[in-house]
Formats: sequence, structure tokens, C-alpha cells
Amino acid sequence: MSASANPSGGPSAGPSAPPSGNPIRRIVTSCEELAGELGTPVRTPVRRGAVAVAVRNPWARRGIVADLQPEVEELAPLLAREIADRLTAMLGGPESITAFGKAALVGLDGEAEHGDALIHTPYFGNVLRELLHGTSIIAFSEERAAAGTTVTVPVWHKTEAATRSHYAATQIRVPDGPRPDELLITAAAATGPRPNARIGDRRTDPVVTLRDLQSTAAQAAPEATEAREGTR
Amino acid sequence: MTTMNLRKTVTLVDEIHTEGGQAVSPVARTAVVAAVIDNPWAGQGFVADLAPGIDAIAPQLGALLAPLVVKALGSPVEAYGKGAVVGLDGEVEHGSALIHTLKFGDHFREAASATTLLPAVEKRAAAGTVFDIPLKHITDATVRSHHQSVEVRIPDAPRADEIVIALAAAAQGRPQARLAPLKSEQ
Repeated sequence: MSASANPSGGPSAGPSAPPSGNPIRRIVTSCEELAGELGTPVRTPVRRGAVAVAVRNPWARRGIVADLQPEVEELAPLLAREIADRLTAMLGGPESITAFGKAALVGLDGEAEHGDALIHTPYFGNVLRELLHGTSIIAFSEERAAAGTTVTVPVWHKTEAATRSHYAATQIRVPDGPRPDELLITAAAATGPRPNARIGDRRTDPVVTLRDLQSTAAQAAPEATEAREGTR
Repeated sequence: MTTMNLRKTVTLVDEIHTEGGQAVSPVARTAVVAAVIDNPWAGQGFVADLAPGIDAIAPQLGALLAPLVVKALGSPVEAYGKGAVVGLDGEVEHGSALIHTLKFGDHFREAASATTLLPAVEKRAAAGTVFDIPLKHITDATVRSHHQSVEVRIPDAPRADEIVIALAAAAQGRPQARLAPLKSEQ
């Protein structure tokens, strides 16, 4: 091999170089800053960020592995830290973040349970929650999909999960991940509510039951309701 | 037409930690910042003279996006590129108008200490289209190790009367680049 074959000057791996021990292949960080809606500046400019990590599936090609715990304990906290570090750096620290969520995409050769293993245990959730200064349960989504699938990551308030103004979602995508033997582990965060939130909250809602809705419909269109009842 | 109507900006940072099973050291970083704006010529039929819109909007876009993408990369820029995706009711020429002018590109050249032409992608597409921004070396477009692309998708943009304008910057060439230089074949 001539010297010119490695023009970057970086270290050239030999023909039988061992694979890297790093299970993480690629990390994509995204942030959308919402400034306007339908031609009008938004009430509350909000930033929503997400981080997606394409990581080797530690259970790939091993059939149904009965005990997932050893790999969860090793990998989940590492992923939570990598993600939380990027979310806080991008959004201005944990105090700027008011809402969070997480998601797992399992590559096509994996088991859905593999993604669940990495996001639904304290080894991921507690680390993420602590680093983002939250207390709520963390909103989530999960699916098995081909590389390049766009992940919709739901978020809700990090200390008051039932705060309706903060129910939202953001999207992230890694063009070539997850490969069939990879997982795409993601989390998202927002610096505020939906930018034009105006649909009330549990404390301001009227009581709504099916019976209430039927009587409302009858008041709004009595003839139609009578006609329908007449056919019974 | 004199002010830019901005709906949102989208920032992407891509890090390659391993490629071909080998560690990439330092980690290969590429950043993209895109602005979703109203097409300044939307609803006007065929506009013969685009210059007034270019003069009004292109400098604002360059001044907005150039510092953002350099900051998002967080390292000296070695390769760069740009793109325009026009919503379905517009002309591709509208996107080209906003990016193929020194009034736009010089903001990025200055922020990146660059001298070469900016490689570009321009197309018309529905919201959520995937577009690839080509990047080349910032001072010598023949440096083969720095020929690369970055993929972008914004789920809800461009709407039919919008344009997405994006800048891309990379801190290095391709991860694991090992092709012989152009001059070795000349």
C-alpha cells in the first residue's frame, strides 16, 4: 500500500484490524426552534431537541436470550449519559428543559424486547431523569423498523406529567440506522410548552361523559336526532 | 417581500463514532442548519425579475444560518455545502435565487474562512422529502477525501408555499477516507 493511499494522514488500520470495542456507531442530535405558525409569530418560542444513538444490539444473533440484565446494566447508563449530555448542551442546561421523552427503534433482526430492555429500566430512565432534573415517568414510543425510519418521540412535563400544555412530540432520524443488528436509542426534550398551547387543562375542563355529548348533540340538531330515533 | 418570514430553524449534528467496524478518531462531525421560510414569490405567478426579492431575503438568510452552523459544528470547518428545497407551488428557480448569490454564500465563506464555490442541491419536493447536501473542501474543491454528503429530512417542510434553505459544515473529510488523491491519477 503506497503512502498516497491514505491521504488523510490518519492511522491506517491494517487488513486484519480488530473491530472497535465501542458499541456506538453514530449519534445524531437534532433541534427545532419554533418561531412562527400559520404566518404569525408564536406566543412562546420553544426549542425541541432529540438525540438518537445507533448502537450494536448486544443480543443480536443469539436467539431468545433469557436474561437481558447484564447488558442492560452495562449499556443503558452509558446511553442515557451520552444522550443527556447532548440534550443539556444543546438546550441550555437541565434547568432550561421542562419536558422529556424517550424512544427505541429495534433493527429488523432484533426482538422488540431488546429495545424495551434498554429504555424501560432504571439503568436508563433514572439516569436520564436525574441528569435532566426531572421526577415524572418518561413518555415513550417504540417500534421495530428499517434503517432511516423517522422516530416520533413524545414528550411531556418532566415534573408534572399531566400538564397538558407540554404534551408534544418531535421527530428524529438516522439515515442508515438502525441496521438489522442495531438499536436506535433516543430521547427528546423541550424548553417549554407547545408554542401556541390553548386547549385548557384537567383543572379547567368541564365534566365530559358520553351522556353529556348525546344531550349536546340533541340540542344542536333536534330534528336530526328525532329522525334517527324514529328509525329505531 | 422585504422581510423574511421564518417558521422555524432545524439543527442537526451528526457524529460517526465507528465506520467499517473501526473507531473513527477523532469522531467525525457534520452539522446542518436549515431555515423554513415563506417563499417570497408565492402566489405572484411568474415573476420575471427576482432581484428585489434576492436583495431583500438572501443576505438575511446568510446572516442567520452561517453563524448557527459554525456554532453547531463546534470545530473549524473543513468542508461545506448548501441546499434549497422549494415547496410544490414554487419554482426551483426561487430556491436557486436565494442560495446562488454572493449575498448569501459570502456569509458562510466568511464564517468558515472558506474560498471555494459552495456545492449545492436544489429541488422541488413535498414536505418530508429527504435531501442530500453535497460538501467539498473549503479552500480546494479537488481534495478528494472531503467529497461527502449529509442527509436531511424535515417532516413538515417545505409546505407548498415555503422554501427550506440549509447550510452544511463538516469538521473533516469522510470517516476512514483512504482514496488516492486526484493528482495521483493525472
